[in-house]
Amino acid sequence: MAADSAANVVDAQVNSSIGKISLYEGSTQYKSWRYSPEQLERIRISLNVAAVAAIRNTFEADEPGSSSNVLFLGAGEEQLLVKLYITKIPQLCGHFRFPEEVEATAISYLKRFYLKNTVMDWHPKNVMLTTLFLATKTTNNPISLESYTSNIPKTSSSDVLDLEFLVSQSLNFELAVWHAHRALWGIWLDLQSLPDVTEDLRPQDIYDIAIKHVRASRFTDAELIYTPSQIALASLALASPLLAQRWADSKAPPGSIQPLSETMEPTLGAIKYIITQMGHPPDVEAVREVDRRLKLCKNPEKVPGSKAYLARQAEEQRRAEEKRHKKAEDVRRAITESNPFGNELNDDEKATQLAELDDDD
Amino acid sequence: MDAVEKANAERQKRWVKDRKVGEGTYAVVYQGREASTGRKVAIKKIKVGQFKDGLDMSAIREVKYLRELHHQNIIELLDVFSSKTNLNLVLEFLDSDLEMIIQDRSLVFLPADIKAWMAMTLRGLEFCHRNFMLHRDLKPNNLLIASDGQLKIADFGLARDFADPGHKMTCQVITRWYRPPELLFGCRYYSSAVDIWSVGCIFAELMLRTPYLPGESDMDQLKTIFRALGTPTEEDWPGHTKLPDYVPVGQFPRTPLRDLFTAASGDTLNLLSRFLVYEPRKRISVRDALNHAYFFALPHPSHPSKLPKPATQTSRPLEELDGNVEMAGAGPGVKANAPNKLKRKLTSPDGTELRPLARRLDFTQLAKHS
Amino acid sequence: MSNRTNVGGWLKGKTVRKGGITSSNGHTARSSTPQVQSTSSTVFSGGVKDASGRTTEYFSMDDQCPVCKSDRYLNPKLRLLVSSCYHKMCESCIDRLFTLGPAPCPICQKVLRKLAFTPQTFEDLTVEKEVAVRRRIAKEFNKRREDFPDLHTYNDYLEEVEDITFNLINDIDVPQTEARIAAHRTENAVLIELNLQREEQYAHALREQEELERQEKEQRALELRREVEIEREERETSQREIIDRLETSTKDAAKVIAKSRAEAMKRSSARTTTSTVLRSSAQLLRARAAQSTVIPDPPHIPLQDNWDSYEDLYTLKDQYDDMYSDAVRKDREGIMRAGGYRVEEAWDRALRCAVAGLDLPPLPGLNPSPERTDVAMASV
Repeated sequence: MAADSAANVVDAQVNSSIGKISLYEGSTQYKSWRYSPEQLERIRISLNVAAVAAIRNTFEADEPGSSSNVLFLGAGEEQLLVKLYITKIPQLCGHFRFPEEVEATAISYLKRFYLKNTVMDWHPKNVMLTTLFLATKTTNNPISLESYTSNIPKTSSSDVLDLEFLVSQSLNFELAVWHAHRALWGIWLDLQSLPDVTEDLRPQDIYDIAIKHVRASRFTDAELIYTPSQIALASLALASPLLAQRWADSKAPPGSIQPLSETMEPTLGAIKYIITQMGHPPDVEAVREVDRRLKLCKNPEKVPGSKAYLARQAEEQRRAEEKRHKKAEDVRRAITESNPFGNELNDDEKATQLAELDDDD
Repeated sequence: MDAVEKANAERQKRWVKDRKVGEGTYAVVYQGREASTGRKVAIKKIKVGQFKDGLDMSAIREVKYLRELHHQNIIELLDVFSSKTNLNLVLEFLDSDLEMIIQDRSLVFLPADIKAWMAMTLRGLEFCHRNFMLHRDLKPNNLLIASDGQLKIADFGLARDFADPGHKMTCQVITRWYRPPELLFGCRYYSSAVDIWSVGCIFAELMLRTPYLPGESDMDQLKTIFRALGTPTEEDWPGHTKLPDYVPVGQFPRTPLRDLFTAASGDTLNLLSRFLVYEPRKRISVRDALNHAYFFALPHPSHPSKLPKPATQTSRPLEELDGNVEMAGAGPGVKANAPNKLKRKLTSPDGTELRPLARRLDFTQLAKHS
Repeated sequence: MSNRTNVGGWLKGKTVRKGGITSSNGHTARSSTPQVQSTSSTVFSGGVKDASGRTTEYFSMDDQCPVCKSDRYLNPKLRLLVSSCYHKMCESCIDRLFTLGPAPCPICQKVLRKLAFTPQTFEDLTVEKEVAVRRRIAKEFNKRREDFPDLHTYNDYLEEVEDITFNLINDIDVPQTEARIAAHRTENAVLIELNLQREEQYAHALREQEELERQEKEQRALELRREVEIEREERETSQREIIDRLETSTKDAAKVIAKSRAEAMKRSSARTTTSTVLRSSAQLLRARAAQSTVIPDPPHIPLQDNWDSYEDLYTLKDQYDDMYSDAVRKDREGIMRAGGYRVEEAWDRALRCAVAGLDLPPLPGLNPSPERTDVAMASV
């Protein structure tokens, strides 16, 4: 049954767009930030394991034997902590009156960040503040850093700015996100084109319920697995199965045997499950426990002022110094040894030298 | 963290910087190549951490939109890599732009050429609008030309998504000469029609070889527009007197476009007038423009390889050692630096073999410009 | 192909064209003295003939034939020609001495034929000789800088050429020099031929260019005349307009006139801009015409990309019952209307979002596609 439906869905795809690529399939969201649940789990576990190993080494380098007492976080616990901070974003957005676009984008950024990083290196608190700030910029609702930090207690500018580049880098500078709430709005508008859906069949409160489900979905992994339109449809299905079914069926490509609502049932079912089971904030107590343990096992290299941090800095500075030295040496050699007149052959060399000089990496 | 850095280092190896070709206020542009294929690229290095509000908005916009848009008439972002303090955009290398071509008096435009450029510009713009994106900085300087003649829209530093209802946008966008009157009147709710006005100005400029509506200040810009196209009435443009920065600018009569564009055909003038309609809702849409009779009428648009191009610039090596050559325009344009205007004597109309054969003593350039 | 030079014409210093007609004065067939044919078919390696036929023959009132001592005063039709040994004599002497066949030159005894005489171009015969020698050498030794590996060898070559030339001009070691020339010719036959052809093309192209320029000049003159006409008309109409305006408007007269003047200036400057564009289009059109036959211009296709934007999956209506855009649509001040904000564009985007990727199946299991390095790198 599942195989059948999968085959049908694939057919539909091929028939409707022969030779053409759909715009969503050309987006970075589709190309880079789409996973299966299994892949997500594997990525998180491997990230976690690698992080634990690295931090353990740092502990050992600092003080041999110190790491054996440390209870490092597991991947699941990391997720719990991240989820808590995800739930804080809507609160902040309400406070600042940011549009829904900002809220949804910031949450996406936060989720994606922790697919590349571990909480033991970077605590979600400041990362969350940074993703929100970044989201205001990328969605064209910018706010000055000054007014941002002054409205959040115990937050300095550097708390936000220091991480901004790191966050952008972790996102691979892929900053455009498609959202389910816009898709839901679209479905809601499109329902008005269906002849058999009269106004009384689509009262406002159904929409209100559906949008609540969309917002709940943001606390889950749904957007990393499914497309925004699928999430929106599932949310509508939770609010009014009838409307969802009618609308889905109207979108079936001509000549398909099964109605679309049936072929999509496995997908929609899975999303509905995710939303209802995992779409609520985590247990605060459990999170607090995790946070407590985090204080003991976080990576000292990332904590400004700690021994390991300073050691790392020194190492980096030494490397940079070395590089600078080498460049200065090269330049000096080039100037003293080069023939001022007949340098045609060495033009390329000189040019690369000039270029490298500018590189302040 | 290290994994991210490692991935970056890998990407960085793909690209080699050859030499600097320009510098702006927050970015340095290098000419480079892909290490494996030797393909020519432009690498724009954006310095990060310079502004009090963090990553610069223009840089963010450029990266965001170029990452998502892939079209023949939009500049291609090949890769992005970053180091600790720099963001590097790898873009395709384009040597010239439409402004250079328009100002190069030794090049002559056929009507078919203008048609081709317009078609390519509109296609690129149509793709932007199809993706619900406003460019908001269209001008000949930002229309880059590849070596095969294809035109590419560049500089997305002012671009943004179409606004959700009720969301205000800034009216301080688009270079003044190409700015539509609704923006000059301070409107905060506008649409894709603002880009169409710019396209109309570019169209006129291609025909006149000089900017069509060059105002010296925002107020003067309005006056210039009205003098050229006549002051709009309430009927022409309902509600315009209610716009935030509305001021009466003077009553000018409408002179027919034919008086100025003497050589233009009826189709041409019709399309131009549809670009420059006052009421934004009535301005032609980009799709309708592409389907306008002007493009289907003869002559056919020139094949891109036959379009006029400025002569190859042998003055390059001098500029290389020059170091901090100012980039044309404040924004992240990614063409190679426009040649020093004094050096523009090197020309030969593309395709003709006649000129270069002149006298052995090279007084041709001087003779040509008499 | 006989050519009758108009004697009266060249007395006045008119142009004598090769095989051609004198520029003015028409033909006057003077048949008394036999004329030497000065066409390019004359086999003659001395003297200087100007190919373009624009230089005039050398002429002076002091001309005197060294052989018969006649001068212009006695013989107004006196014409001095130069032999291949660079000695002058008048046409009657030439005729007298050489009509019956080759005979020695009265001055240097070198055997000459009647054909071996040409009109003089330069006052100084030594100059004439030098020029003739140089012309000949230039034909034989026509290598360019590019034909040499470096500057040094090129300079050596030039020195050699100059050496040869000097010898020939001053009659030093003539046989050896001739041998050197012959040797060079055989060695570099191919290259010489190539360069000859190139020069031929160059000359041809030059001629074409001049022809085009001439045409352009004509066109320009025509345009100018037309413009003057238009300007005059415009001036008249604007004068009338000024008068009308002065009658009807209440503004200051000076201002009205100034405004009209400004408009007129703008119009005329715009006109000159357009006309400069038209001027050299003739030239370019020719080049373009050649190109068009090679690469045709394809007809216009509005959209050429391969992107599917889901347009067949929904229909955008003009009106929707929509809580988000209430304010916009109620907009009484018309601010949003006048500014051109189109709520339809926002609706379009939402509808697109609603259908985008609706039928895309989620990724199955653990197998990532090759480009997904992030998933591939994750290993447990």
